[in-house]
Amino acid sequence: METVSALVLIFLSAAIINNFVLYYFVGICPFLGVSRKIGMAFGMGLAVTFVISIAAFLSWAFTFYILRAGAPIPTQVWALLGGDPETTVDLSVLSYIIYIFVIASSVQFVEMYVRKFFPALYKSFGVFLPLITTNCAILFACLEILKHLQDPMNLWGLHEALALAIGGGIGFTIAISLMAGLREELDMCDVPKALRGTGIALLVAGILAMAFMGFTGVDKGLANALAMLSN
Amino acid sequence: MEEKAPKTSFIGQAWLVILLALLYGGGLAGVQLALGPRIAENKRNETYALIPEMVPGAATEKTVELEIVGADGKNVRVYKAVSADDQHLGWVIPASGGGFADRIECIIGVDATLSVITGVYVLDQKETPGLGDLITTADFLDRLKGKATDLPLTVVKRNPQAANDVLSLTGATISSVAVCDIVNNAIANTQAPLRQLASADAATPKQD
Amino acid sequence: MAHESPTALERFINGILPENPIYRQLLGLCPFLAVTNAMAPAMTMAAATGFVLIAANVMVSAIRGLLKPHLRILVFTLTIATFVTIADKVLAAYLYDMSKQLGPYIPLIICNCLIISRCEICASKQSIKVAFADGVGMSLGFALALASIATVREILGSGSWFGVELLSPEFWPAWGIMVLPPGAFLVMGVLLGAAEWYGNRKKAAAAAQTSEA
Repeated sequence: METVSALVLIFLSAAIINNFVLYYFVGICPFLGVSRKIGMAFGMGLAVTFVISIAAFLSWAFTFYILRAGAPIPTQVWALLGGDPETTVDLSVLSYIIYIFVIASSVQFVEMYVRKFFPALYKSFGVFLPLITTNCAILFACLEILKHLQDPMNLWGLHEALALAIGGGIGFTIAISLMAGLREELDMCDVPKALRGTGIALLVAGILAMAFMGFTGVDKGLANALAMLSN
Repeated sequence: MEEKAPKTSFIGQAWLVILLALLYGGGLAGVQLALGPRIAENKRNETYALIPEMVPGAATEKTVELEIVGADGKNVRVYKAVSADDQHLGWVIPASGGGFADRIECIIGVDATLSVITGVYVLDQKETPGLGDLITTADFLDRLKGKATDLPLTVVKRNPQAANDVLSLTGATISSVAVCDIVNNAIANTQAPLRQLASADAATPKQD
Repeated sequence: MAHESPTALERFINGILPENPIYRQLLGLCPFLAVTNAMAPAMTMAAATGFVLIAANVMVSAIRGLLKPHLRILVFTLTIATFVTIADKVLAAYLYDMSKQLGPYIPLIICNCLIISRCEICASKQSIKVAFADGVGMSLGFALALASIATVREILGSGSWFGVELLSPEFWPAWGIMVLPPGAFLVMGVLLGAAEWYGNRKKAAAAAQTSEA
């Protein structure tokens, strides 16, 4: 029960309370660039969620088994090569390179999948699908997972990593869809010339972020409620 | 380009990438060798440099790092604060918990028998600027200094009267409560094992 | 763009205002909004991004003759990720507190579209000298943009600049919202609108001049 409530908290925190776009500012480029039409925005959000889940799975596996200080596989390889078994083998300096390649591969994989099974969607995405590689939100999720794999006494399992990733992806989808809906309405408004396009989108995003600030502290209340439930 | 067989030569196509990968890998290994110890030192100093503030009179270089099992069954890393002439002065316990916005990380200094709080320091917080983030100021943290640990700290909004009452920050009650909760939980969690260690220490005669 | 490739000096000046990475090209917005709540982290981020941009530009330009077309993005990404790791480690070693404050935003420089786009557009086709000048110009433009937003946010939000208190709390009730995420969006929206308005006025003036002539 405690695990489930912890997972629910991580998921809700990533999706709504500490929304990746409106609180952590990651994924702004597609947030401003792709949010013109709701259909497109929602599709982009789902694609990002898909990629982020695969990337989180792979980066958790790489970090847990290979990259972190004292990881099992390099330690065994080092011992096999005749090294001193007491030394801590730390390959974490390669983390960022591995992550960006994991992300690029995940995007390639998703691209192939969408091309095969949803060819119309693939055409409508155009160049935006490979551009998901430079979406900061995915690298940010991998970095958060890395952060939680640093303290050997408090390591995150795969379930927590996936809860964060899927929550983050869904939060991104919520934010981008909201933005698309707002911008579709703005298209029919008389916006001052200087603010048309990105300017007004940023101002609206600011107000949206303020609205989402209303969720601060909800995770504390939720944690208390869940703790009371499990007692 | 496409007239040749598609798998012309993997090496022929990718030799640059492989070479660069090896080159960069070597470069990064060099950076890690050069800067790694310094970074580890910085991380260590984050806590160690604060120990003399948390337990007055403690000497940083005499600090002993220990791992104990707390009341909740999980391992906790604590620091034994020792003075320059080998007197056991107290303990420094790192703790964290949920704040208003995100997690709050603190370290708590207590005396050797865990009966008085000698200091609290907030290492990391993301509370509201101007309101909740004032929990890092000496003004608030001094309210926790010197409190006895026999009763858990209670936050009151005005007129602190009982010995374990702590006056909350104006407009930041939840953040104040969060810090006190973290302190209470940490002390409750580590009280039994640390008191045991302290009395075992006092019982065994010092060998010089 | 010009018919002959722009010279190094032209590229340098280009990057600062006419093709400013933030206000004109709208690239690299993620770290931009996150670290500009005060001048000190903003300038550290500008320095780190500048280092990565210049180093990546020079490196890619040096090996531009060896790049295979379908593997070039891979090479760019590898180069950028390496230099970002170096920048991150150097910061953690020498400016530990700042590195903690900037947190995950330094490694996010890898996703900064600005650097990959400069590698693609300029460094992979031009000599080292031109690539270097381009990198320096773009970095200065980026730093200028960061400074503009950070100044507004820090002065309105904390009454200080670079940590030095300018407006004491009695005179100026600090606008907390400026230091928080929404403030970043709002300030950037207003400044972008101002930049657009200024650009439109210049265009209108130039058009009026040519129609008079």
